[in-house]
Amino acid sequence: MERRTATSLLGWGVLLLFVAPLCAGFLGTLLPAFGLVPGLAETEGFSVLFADARFWPAVRLTLQTGFLATALVMVLTIVCLVCVQRTRVWRWVLASLPPLLAVPHAALAVGVLFLITPSGWVARVFSPWLTGWERPPDFWVAPDAEGMTLVLGLVVKEFPFLLLAALAQLPSLNVEASLSIGRTLGYSPARCWSRLILPQLYPRIRSTLLIILAFNLSVVDMALLLGPGNPPTFSVFLMSLVNDPGMRAAASAGALILALGVFASFVGLYGLEQLISLWAKARRANGRRGATLNRWRGVGVGLVSAVLLFSVLGLVMLVLWSFTRRWRFPDALPQQWSAAHWATRSDVLVQPLVLSVYFAIGTMVLAIVAAVVWLELERLNRVPQINSVWFIPLLVPQVTLLFGWQAVALLMGADGHWLTVLYSHWVYALPYVVLILATAWREHDPAWHHAANTLGGGYWRVLSRVHMPLLAKPLCQAAAVALAVSVAQYLPTLLLGAGRYQTLAIELVTSFGGVDRRVIAALALMQSLLPLLAFFAALIVPWIIMKPRARAWQR
Amino acid sequence: MRTNTRKKTAKSLLFSLLATLALSLPTAHAIEPDSDWTAVVEEARGQTVYFNAWGGSDRINSYLQWAADNLQEQYGVTLKHVKVGDIAEVVGQLEAAKQVGRNEDGNVDLMWVNGENFAAMKRNSLTWGPFADNLEHTNIVKDSPSIQFDFSVPVDGLESPWGGAQLVFIHDTAVMDEPPQSAAELLTYVVGGARFTYPAPPAFHGTTLIKQFLIELTDNPEALAKPVDAATFDEVTEPLWVYLDTLHPELRGKGKSWPNSGEATRQLLDDGEVDIALSFNPNEATAAVRSGQLPDSVRTYVFRDGTIGNTHFVTIPWNASAKAGAMVVANYLLSPEAQARKANPDYWGDPTVLDLTRLNEEDRKAFTDIDLGVWALPIGSGKVLPEPHASWAEALEQAWIERYGS
Repeated sequence: MERRTATSLLGWGVLLLFVAPLCAGFLGTLLPAFGLVPGLAETEGFSVLFADARFWPAVRLTLQTGFLATALVMVLTIVCLVCVQRTRVWRWVLASLPPLLAVPHAALAVGVLFLITPSGWVARVFSPWLTGWERPPDFWVAPDAEGMTLVLGLVVKEFPFLLLAALAQLPSLNVEASLSIGRTLGYSPARCWSRLILPQLYPRIRSTLLIILAFNLSVVDMALLLGPGNPPTFSVFLMSLVNDPGMRAAASAGALILALGVFASFVGLYGLEQLISLWAKARRANGRRGATLNRWRGVGVGLVSAVLLFSVLGLVMLVLWSFTRRWRFPDALPQQWSAAHWATRSDVLVQPLVLSVYFAIGTMVLAIVAAVVWLELERLNRVPQINSVWFIPLLVPQVTLLFGWQAVALLMGADGHWLTVLYSHWVYALPYVVLILATAWREHDPAWHHAANTLGGGYWRVLSRVHMPLLAKPLCQAAAVALAVSVAQYLPTLLLGAGRYQTLAIELVTSFGGVDRRVIAALALMQSLLPLLAFFAALIVPWIIMKPRARAWQR
Repeated sequence: MRTNTRKKTAKSLLFSLLATLALSLPTAHAIEPDSDWTAVVEEARGQTVYFNAWGGSDRINSYLQWAADNLQEQYGVTLKHVKVGDIAEVVGQLEAAKQVGRNEDGNVDLMWVNGENFAAMKRNSLTWGPFADNLEHTNIVKDSPSIQFDFSVPVDGLESPWGGAQLVFIHDTAVMDEPPQSAAELLTYVVGGARFTYPAPPAFHGTTLIKQFLIELTDNPEALAKPVDAATFDEVTEPLWVYLDTLHPELRGKGKSWPNSGEATRQLLDDGEVDIALSFNPNEATAAVRSGQLPDSVRTYVFRDGTIGNTHFVTIPWNASAKAGAMVVANYLLSPEAQARKANPDYWGDPTVLDLTRLNEEDRKAFTDIDLGVWALPIGSGKVLPEPHASWAEALEQAWIERYGS
């Protein structure tokens, strides 16, 4: 009984460590917003915020970019499922998903910019032979004032995320059966999808869509790189307030409004969902069979290929620019190549890399340990199954939690400490790790344990020799995701680290305005390579672990 | 005085309910701004100095890395460059720390400031004390008004000079052979189709450019040397807004989308998206051409009647953890060795604050040997205009944001 209590306390300890900063962050934002923190924020911040000329333009811009990007992600995902499956492109789509998911937002944003500015690669490739442009055109700029550059960046990055979530659900939906039944009844494939499959699929990817919507409405790093500056998006506007001591209350008030806005958007999305489902229900029974998909299939395939090609080209741009010496408009490739900046600028490249690796490995180890502890205790019935709590950091805007967390850290004198930064990375990585491992842990056949126990294996022996190796694949995947999440963290590192920890994410964003484009490319490339290597390792390592066992089995 | 040697007596990390909590017990500071220099150097050995400085230029970042290596070797001081986007944010953090009473163990030991940020620090007593007059190298610094008065605010030894700067324009002779020589000419050029843009204030280069425009356009230039008077602000600045109202629709981005730094305009010049770039470094073009970031055909110039110039400084906050170390760093940054490297466009190209006549032959040669190249602002060609009083920066920035920022 004693041990039972002790171990379940361990589980609750893990959960408390996870929840405490979320509560502290919330209170640390709530109280200053109402001016209740002496010394930090003594008068309420809402009136200051509403009086600021940038408030409404920033709100409008945020809603515009956030909703447009989310809608486009949803449309692209559906188009991809309906049009691209069972074509030759499909294999390439599947192959491109994991690397595109692994690449951090900021790095991809840099790649996108290298493509789409008036002097970017897309214009270069077609100039001057097709366009006649000897100099870059001047009828658009990127980033643009309406935030379309940001929308593009968000779509390119979030589309693979939603697609992957949808793909994970398809096997349980029996798509083939639905399609063949529908077709037997004479419905076109597009109608089979819209009437039979999508209504089942949507509820299963709703949580992912909400995460994407929340992210699109509150992102900071990508908005700094791709968003307009005057006015900026709402989160970026709040970032400009939070470091102004007289503005802490206003910044906190804004962070609360952002959280409420995101929540209201969830409700709005739910309402929209209901309307669409009413409309779809009426349509479903109208009996029309619809034309064939063939006409539109080509367009869909083209669209999806273009988006994916765009991301991949963005990454190629990072490689090209990092090895460039001279490359002017309108040349499609650099005039002079050089690997020199990799060597001469190693002083500004190596330190951030090392720091990112430290935080990533720390985050990975701590997140895996915490998740395994929690899920093991859950399996042993020492703690209950909890799913919703892990979603909190993914659904609440980072700005909202981190402003408060920073305020608390500031009051406690813990800001600028590496442990605080590591702690924040852990909080943001743990949800993904738990959610990935939970399925594997819960579906793991208990017969393995019984068999191993019967053979005389104790708890630890069974865990380390049977359970963990069998789950090596999800464990490695979760570890890779934890590493990718840590490497991409901009806001926690900046706010809680007091700017002292120049990781790749920080270095890339803060120095973007001024640094040599070739160094920017090198930084972004390194920030992309870390998670890519991790995902590659996640494919290889389980195979290496299982190989000798499989051989023994065959013998 | 061994016992006075600063060391963290206890550093215990507690995982509390709320966050990781790092408790540092208060430590005694033996060093005062006027302490004996040998005592400062002795105390500094082993200290880590967090230097908060704008990190938007990789050349500057590399220069500081070089300085860090030398400081470690010569003084046993570890210099950590904390790269910031806008030093005003750090001033804000210090004000917040002051409000919550964090008077010890601050996060910032040394910071790169001037102008309105220094004025704000001085006003709110965020500086430590007159350490600058106590540095070993103070006696080789120039006697110049911009070193004694930072944007008209008396320096009083609260900050130590680091380098000089002047607003300059870089143009590509292959595209534009005879660039505009005044604000008025610039407008004519831009309306006539020349490509131009500037970083939106409060970005440093943007604020400086509109101050430059104001100096040229206002009917009341003597008002700029004094603190802003709310009663006359509109009258003094009216010509500026009329000018910008005409200029903005003609800019790259139509006055709705702006580059975020002066360096970004340099990149846009290389891309061909603008015809004139802004810089605050008369030698930046040389460095950029040599490293392959600008074409050989660029040249640097200033307007016919001159452009704004100033001095930038380093200062130590009142709650710095490593004050002795920070003094050693400030002093090293003034050494002929460090200043000569900084003046070299291959590394940075920032004009020195030293009086070359006060150096010995060998040290002077290190400066005169520097090849500034044809791309830099020709020496002696740029008339320097004084900065308006520090209060103008914020007032202009706010007025600009109200008009064009949303």
